[in-house]
Amino acid sequence: MLVVHCPVCGAEGDETDFHGGGQAHVRRPATHDPVNVSDEAQRDYLFIRHNPKGLHFERWRCDRGCGKWFHAARDTVTMEFKAFYGITELPPRELMEQATGEWATYFKDKLKAEAKS
Amino acid sequence: MSELYVESPLAHREAPQGLSIELREITDRGMIDVRGSASDKKFMAAAKKVLGIDLPKASRTSVSWGDVKALWLSIDQWLILCSRAKAVELAATLKTELGGTHSLIVDVSDMRAVLRLEGEGVREVLLKGSSLDLLSDDYTPGTVRRMRYAEIAALLHVVEDTVFDVYVFRSYADYAWDFILATARAPAKVTLFGAQSTPI
Amino acid sequence: MSNKPYRLAQGGSRIDRTKKVHFSFDGKQLNGFAGDTLASAVMANGTKLFGRSFKYHRPRGVVGLGSEEMNALIGVGDGSRHEPNLRATQIELFDGLQAVSQNRWPSLAFDVGSLNSKVSRFIPGGFYYKTFMWPQRFWKHVYEPLIRKAAGLGHAPEGRDPDAYENIHVHCDVLVVGGGVAGLAAAESAAATGARVILADENPQFGGLADIAGGSLDGKPQTAWVAEKVSSLAAAENVHLLPRTTVVGHWHHNYLMLFERAADHDPALLREGAPRHRLWKVRAKQVILASGAIERPIAFANNDRPGIMLASAARAMVERYGVSPGVEGIVFTNNDDAYQTALVLKAAGIGVRVVDSRGRAEGALVEKARAAGIEVAVSSVVSAVEGNLGVTAVRVAAYRKGQGRVITERKISCDFIAMSGGFNPALHLWCHNGGKIKFDDGLQSFRPDRHQDPVTAVGAANGTFALADIIAEASTAGEMVAKRKTKAAKVKLPKAEQDVQKPLEALWFAPATGKYNEGNKHFIDFQNDVTVADLELAQREGYESVEHTKRYTTFGMATDQGKTSNLNGLGVLSDATGKSIPEIGVTTFRPPYTPFSFGSIAGVLTKNLFLPIRRTPIYQWHADKGATFEPVGQWRRAYTYTGPGEDKHGSINREILAVRHKVGLLDASTLGKIEIKGPDAAEFLDRVYTNMFSTLKVGKCRYGLMMNELGFLTDDGVTVRLGEDHFLMHTTSGGADRIAAWLEEWLQTEWTHYKVFVTPVTEQWAQFAIAGPRARNVLAKLGADFDLSHDGFPHMSFKEGKLGGYPVRVYRISFSGEQSYEVATPASMGRGLWNAILDAGKELGIEPYGTEALHVLRAEKGFIVIGDETDGTTTPIDVGLDGLVSKKKADFIGKRSLEQSYLKGPDRKQLVGLLTEEPTDVLPDGAYAVKQVKDKPPMEMIGQVTSSYHSPTLERSIAMALIQNGRARMGETLSFPIEGGKVIRAKIVDPVFYDKEGARQNV
Repeated sequence: MLVVHCPVCGAEGDETDFHGGGQAHVRRPATHDPVNVSDEAQRDYLFIRHNPKGLHFERWRCDRGCGKWFHAARDTVTMEFKAFYGITELPPRELMEQATGEWATYFKDKLKAEAKS
Repeated sequence: MSELYVESPLAHREAPQGLSIELREITDRGMIDVRGSASDKKFMAAAKKVLGIDLPKASRTSVSWGDVKALWLSIDQWLILCSRAKAVELAATLKTELGGTHSLIVDVSDMRAVLRLEGEGVREVLLKGSSLDLLSDDYTPGTVRRMRYAEIAALLHVVEDTVFDVYVFRSYADYAWDFILATARAPAKVTLFGAQSTPI
Repeated sequence: MSNKPYRLAQGGSRIDRTKKVHFSFDGKQLNGFAGDTLASAVMANGTKLFGRSFKYHRPRGVVGLGSEEMNALIGVGDGSRHEPNLRATQIELFDGLQAVSQNRWPSLAFDVGSLNSKVSRFIPGGFYYKTFMWPQRFWKHVYEPLIRKAAGLGHAPEGRDPDAYENIHVHCDVLVVGGGVAGLAAAESAAATGARVILADENPQFGGLADIAGGSLDGKPQTAWVAEKVSSLAAAENVHLLPRTTVVGHWHHNYLMLFERAADHDPALLREGAPRHRLWKVRAKQVILASGAIERPIAFANNDRPGIMLASAARAMVERYGVSPGVEGIVFTNNDDAYQTALVLKAAGIGVRVVDSRGRAEGALVEKARAAGIEVAVSSVVSAVEGNLGVTAVRVAAYRKGQGRVITERKISCDFIAMSGGFNPALHLWCHNGGKIKFDDGLQSFRPDRHQDPVTAVGAANGTFALADIIAEASTAGEMVAKRKTKAAKVKLPKAEQDVQKPLEALWFAPATGKYNEGNKHFIDFQNDVTVADLELAQREGYESVEHTKRYTTFGMATDQGKTSNLNGLGVLSDATGKSIPEIGVTTFRPPYTPFSFGSIAGVLTKNLFLPIRRTPIYQWHADKGATFEPVGQWRRAYTYTGPGEDKHGSINREILAVRHKVGLLDASTLGKIEIKGPDAAEFLDRVYTNMFSTLKVGKCRYGLMMNELGFLTDDGVTVRLGEDHFLMHTTSGGADRIAAWLEEWLQTEWTHYKVFVTPVTEQWAQFAIAGPRARNVLAKLGADFDLSHDGFPHMSFKEGKLGGYPVRVYRISFSGEQSYEVATPASMGRGLWNAILDAGKELGIEPYGTEALHVLRAEKGFIVIGDETDGTTTPIDVGLDGLVSKKKADFIGKRSLEQSYLKGPDRKQLVGLLTEEPTDVLPDGAYAVKQVKDKPPMEMIGQVTSSYHSPTLERSIAMALIQNGRARMGETLSFPIEGGKVIRAKIVDPVFYDKEGARQNV
């Protein structure tokens, strides 16, 4: 039973007061260009998920609190939450840098973009 | 036209016996759900004009103005408490005054049942259904907190140090009442921390 | 033999010899003293035999002194209060206690099942896996009943549990697990900082083994220090002491469950209504694990005979309860600690010799023993035990480390053995939640290493055994972990004095003269009857992984979770493979540490609280009217109102015909209701529904379909436009919460730029359907302050006003196909309006109808129900609602998936109507249509019935079904094989059976 912290309202509580919403940062292609979504892009959006051993990024909702969605970075081995951040935000920079595997690939461009700006 | 027949969610329940705390239903409570953004100055000002007070911005707090209370529910949601007699008119005024802002006002006076728990040990009774740290300094009078209670959703309002209101959705009123009857039985009283008799 | 042959004349720190207690064991009336455990009281009466073992039914006695006890499992209480498998060493004696031994028939001393023992060479490790394999048909009638009869310990209670149980949640700064010297020292220093401290111990007394461990604190016995600390902790404002409370499990983020046996020890408490057990769900900022250590048995031939105990347990019998384990004893050890037992036995006047496997024994305690005149045989092992129901003699042989078999042995008469193979830190809780451990060569055991949660092990649990070290380590830990320092109080540590002990030497196996399975059983796991031979056999058969060996032999899998067996088993495997113990690895420790009751898990959530039940404002009226209820999610909805002289079939038909010909009244309060408002509300609804809502006119209603992103139907309902930027959405009864959360999710996570607020208001309203040709007349009779004419208030429109004086929202929508109004009023007025409608409709023949009538009415009209006609893999096109899937909108939830080729193929199942050839045949719900009927399955299935009813309107049965390519098969007759070899044949027809034009609702 994890202890979850809501970055929106500051509430902290048992996992049962929250709702896990699966992997974070999944892009919905149809929102951006509904006409040109390939079958492969739709498949990836619906079904393909990361399953890392270690640092992972996921969505949670403050289900019994303020009702807001947020993001969390969690170590899937130790269960430790590394950060909680806004639902429209990217993880803290140091966590993007620590990410491995598919996550590292995903954050590579984001880090570049951040470095530019 | 005959008189309208109105009944509270727990009107059919008898006053409980043999509990370690007092338990009763609060029936005269009007409730208005207000949605709007705390960062929308126009909305906040219009709300203040009607209510006489600023809607609280701090998480899990409440404010009072006369017989009106505003409970923080989220960063864009509040529950206004007043007498039932006043609720219809107050909701209408809010709708009118907030009409020009992005907001949603709903009279929800009948949506919830309000259970009043009172007495020494009330926090321990609540802890039999809630995983919140109710003994911590976070739960001073005025605090509001939505929570999972027993197996349902509930809203907790700390009225005084040993007086708590538990709001549950109307359809769960009997379940919540029965749950408190079961957990507040006098022989099951628990006193957490504090002096104990020395074990053998 | 005297009445109490084993109760010593003096001693017994726990018992009160002035208070006699009467109890029964296997029906025999016995006496003990207040403070006794069942184990000590029964042994004081001269009985060593406590039960029979699980597999071989071998006679067994008490081995341990607490929760590690693996043999003496006892049933306590009778009838509905019976509880099996309690450890005799933990059962506190009270007047009237009824205890029974287990796993024996017909009696403990003569047990038929013990014949298993005689054939034991034929039931080695993995026996069940090897034997009960084939033929397969034997499973059901031969093997399973056989195994079921033999399996399990004890028997279940009979009848409903009369006692109360509860859960409670608590947060604390520091949870100290174990109230021995280490736990007390840690709690004291943590509490001195002002931290909130919980100290739990599974025993009724705090102090752990302080009373039998020897040594002194500040020149006084350890017990004096313990008493002082316990009373000051009890008095402290920031400490909660929990005796009789076992910490049974440790989960992520320091979440622990504590099982408190609150009233088992005192029937008076139960009579007053106190909870029998209480389960504590504790969230601790810090955990200090002071759970102590468990003494290891030694694997020697027939080491399970009654009268063979752990050395610490034998010592406790004498010192705590004044009970002698026998007249003449052997202490068999590989370490110094057991010499304390020898000294205690000697001092109590009991005969004792020491057999020490080490080549040299020269610690301070050893010297004391020698000085006291105790015979010490070094380089020796107990190689065999004689006696069956008890020990009559041992055989002792010369031994050097690693020896596999002994040649010569000498016989020594004795009637009990106190054994000690060293101590294992109690690591279970450390490991439940991923704590790492390391092997300690000095201890020949594992000790805590790293933990990702804030957990600190102290004292024996950490492999620290010297008294001064324990106190220093625990006190420091307590202070360090309790970070909230409001007091600067520094705890003064007592001066500890103790005999220094020399190291032990590992002894995983004491050899015998004979071979395995020649009556020489070297038990490792006593509770599951696993021997050294079984473990070695598993190795030879190729079970290399310790996890496989565990499952194959069941070692460590009994209710004691391997407390005394785990490490010994690893030691045997190490010897057998030549690998070191760390190389062998450990098996996974899983909660619970000791078994705990289902009652405590359920707490108060039984009977009327088993499930949360949702009641509408009309619930009581339905109940008074004799309605049967149907669960819809957590709601209880009226199914039908069966009157006198009627059956359910009759009342359902009556209700349907009332709606078709007169007027009916339905409680539809459970329907989900969500207010949606904002400048982008219309566009948002276009995104969540398959059809268009931005074109809906204010004051009008529209039926909408919702899909998930996979293109499958998830909900439906009527949405009303209350204002330009304001909508009221209706969802299915079961979907209300889910859809409200779904809308929030999309607004917050995908279309974050939309300015839309969503407020669920389901329970604010009581809502009723008034349906039937006379519906309008009922409204007129009630007095409506709005236009009721068909033109002024047409089908699919909305009015707000007063009805019979009650404030209402009225939606002219129909789920029955009749003229129909759904009327909503604030919930507190629901009952009032309901009664007013019934009064007004009385002379129009109004009848309340339930959900079954509702379902038949809609099925007659071919209306779908989400969850009946859909199963989570059904698209709008499958159910023939293509017309409601917008072609104009660029994007809505599920649109893109609906374009995937696999959702368009010709073999999709499509919704059709069915008319059986025989009009009285009602197809069972879910019946399968097959391509070709055969004598027996398998038959190729081409679809299934989704709804099926007798229609009183049409005076025949009707059904809907999802059939492969169904719409192209109109007129075809399908076969539905049902139970008993019967086949129902039905013709595919249009799913709208009644009033195809929809004329009736539009008048």
